[in-house]
Amino acid sequence: MPTNSITVEQLSKTYQVPEREAGFNAAVRSFFKRKYKDVKAVQEVNFNIAQGEIVGFLGPNGAGKTTTLKMLSGLLHPSSGKASVLGFTPWELKPEYLRSMTLVMGQRNRLSWDIPAADSFLLNQAIYRIPDDEYKQTYKELDELLELDPLMKKPVRNLSLGERMKCEIAAGLLHRPKVLFLDEPTIGLDITGQVRIREFLREYNKRTGATILLTSHYMADVTALCERIIIIHQGQLKYDGGITDLSHKIAPFKLIGVMLADADSHDLSGYGTQVQNEEDADKRYIQVKAEDVTRITSKLLADLPVHDITITDPPIEDVIEQAFNQ
Amino acid sequence: MQNIKLLSAFLKVNIQMALAYRADTVVNILLNLMWLGWELLSLNIIFSNTTTLGGWGIGELIALLGVFRLVNTLMIALIWPNTEKFNQSIRDGSMDYTILQPVNSMFLVTFSRITVWRIWDLVLAVILIVVGINMAGDVTTPLNILTFILLAITGTLIIYSLWIVLIAMTFWFTKFDNNVTILQALLDSGRYPATVYPAWLRIIVTFIIPIAVATTIPLQALRGELGAGQVVLFVAISIISFWAASIVWKLGLKRYSGASS
Repeated sequence: MPTNSITVEQLSKTYQVPEREAGFNAAVRSFFKRKYKDVKAVQEVNFNIAQGEIVGFLGPNGAGKTTTLKMLSGLLHPSSGKASVLGFTPWELKPEYLRSMTLVMGQRNRLSWDIPAADSFLLNQAIYRIPDDEYKQTYKELDELLELDPLMKKPVRNLSLGERMKCEIAAGLLHRPKVLFLDEPTIGLDITGQVRIREFLREYNKRTGATILLTSHYMADVTALCERIIIIHQGQLKYDGGITDLSHKIAPFKLIGVMLADADSHDLSGYGTQVQNEEDADKRYIQVKAEDVTRITSKLLADLPVHDITITDPPIEDVIEQAFNQ
Repeated sequence: MQNIKLLSAFLKVNIQMALAYRADTVVNILLNLMWLGWELLSLNIIFSNTTTLGGWGIGELIALLGVFRLVNTLMIALIWPNTEKFNQSIRDGSMDYTILQPVNSMFLVTFSRITVWRIWDLVLAVILIVVGINMAGDVTTPLNILTFILLAITGTLIIYSLWIVLIAMTFWFTKFDNNVTILQALLDSGRYPATVYPAWLRIIVTFIIPIAVATTIPLQALRGELGAGQVVLFVAISIISFWAASIVWKLGLKRYSGASS
């Protein structure tokens, strides 16, 4: 039984946001008497993450993902509830804690714009008090995985977005953190860039046994990296479990794709809900309940001139979409 | 020791940044030279009409100008650039990274930007002080020089504490970009001896807004005008204000972590 790196109990965060009507008079009124509205960003969330796990943290914009990550990294005090990361209470901001974790935010820069990343790395070495030999060793490993060397000599402002992201991530890992909080680490990157960061994270996790909690808008990041996902919506935990179980629990459906001899002349509405699939125009798809798959498949094969038939899980994007809407 | 290492790392990075844009660096050095010329010229204008100002002779005033420049260099080399960075980091959220570094955040906020080409200004300031003292013909004892150094440090500490309180206000107000303008306005009032001002204003300048503390007071110590009791008082004030500023800073951070999203 691996020990937990992260435990979260009944964690909640409520913000006060100033609120006013539109218009000039309302603006003046609001200057003198400000009205606030409580926004429940995170509500009584519970979960545990074992050491070495990679967990995907999903939810639409404003669901409370970043707020939760900020509480776990120590930036925010929760309104109530408890959290423990590596045995520390994050928001106490103990230096030993800060030295053993990292937070990488895809939309924020920590590297100095005007100088090469290598120089910012050396500053980080001083800040985290990394001994020279350990620094060299870590850099060598990161370079192997991310091919940093060619990027190190250019000022950061001259790097492409993808190159800069590699450097940002490397900068966050120089002190060999045991826990990684990644907020949209692949945002804005092209497919190749995303794939490279993904491969890096997987390999890094394998080599160091670091615990990774990441949020991403790109479902592919999550399906490629995480065996387990946590879904949060309107501040509440909606799902916590295996990515494959998700479809069974949330959407116990299968997709049957059939290629017919004369495709358009048959009516499939009696078999299940017809769904569009842009990627595969040759086949027609129907969505059926998981328990009906065998029955409907044999019926299709018996009734119609079927050339080819496939049974698949619905795309994870659709399943998660359904989970949000429940 | 660790902090000195870190400080030298910051210095290196800042030298690298200063050298990143060549034209910018050259222009900055030229401007700085012109500014010094202007300072000396304006002092000359004052003294072509008067030989003393508030009871101080020209030599003493040059020394005062030196002390003022010393403090002003710290303002320009540290306070201004770091405030700019601080205000920006609150807006763009990079303050988050500062807070998550395993180093005292007040230290990081104070030293992460250093306008390095201003450092030679310190040398000029020291020259002014030395020349001024010689011109005044003051006989200073080693004890007076030590007190002067001690009070220059405590005075700087008081200004620094005031700065910390002012920028920490940003944690509550979210946008408070005039924080250093206020401090600079106060500091400029310390350019001339506090005795130039009417008594009521002097009280404000010396005690309520303790800027003259870093300029006039150390010089008075150099002239041997301060008693031991006063020296102890100023040291005590500086320790208390630094302590108070640290508390305000901590509360500000707490506020930031409670309110930001």
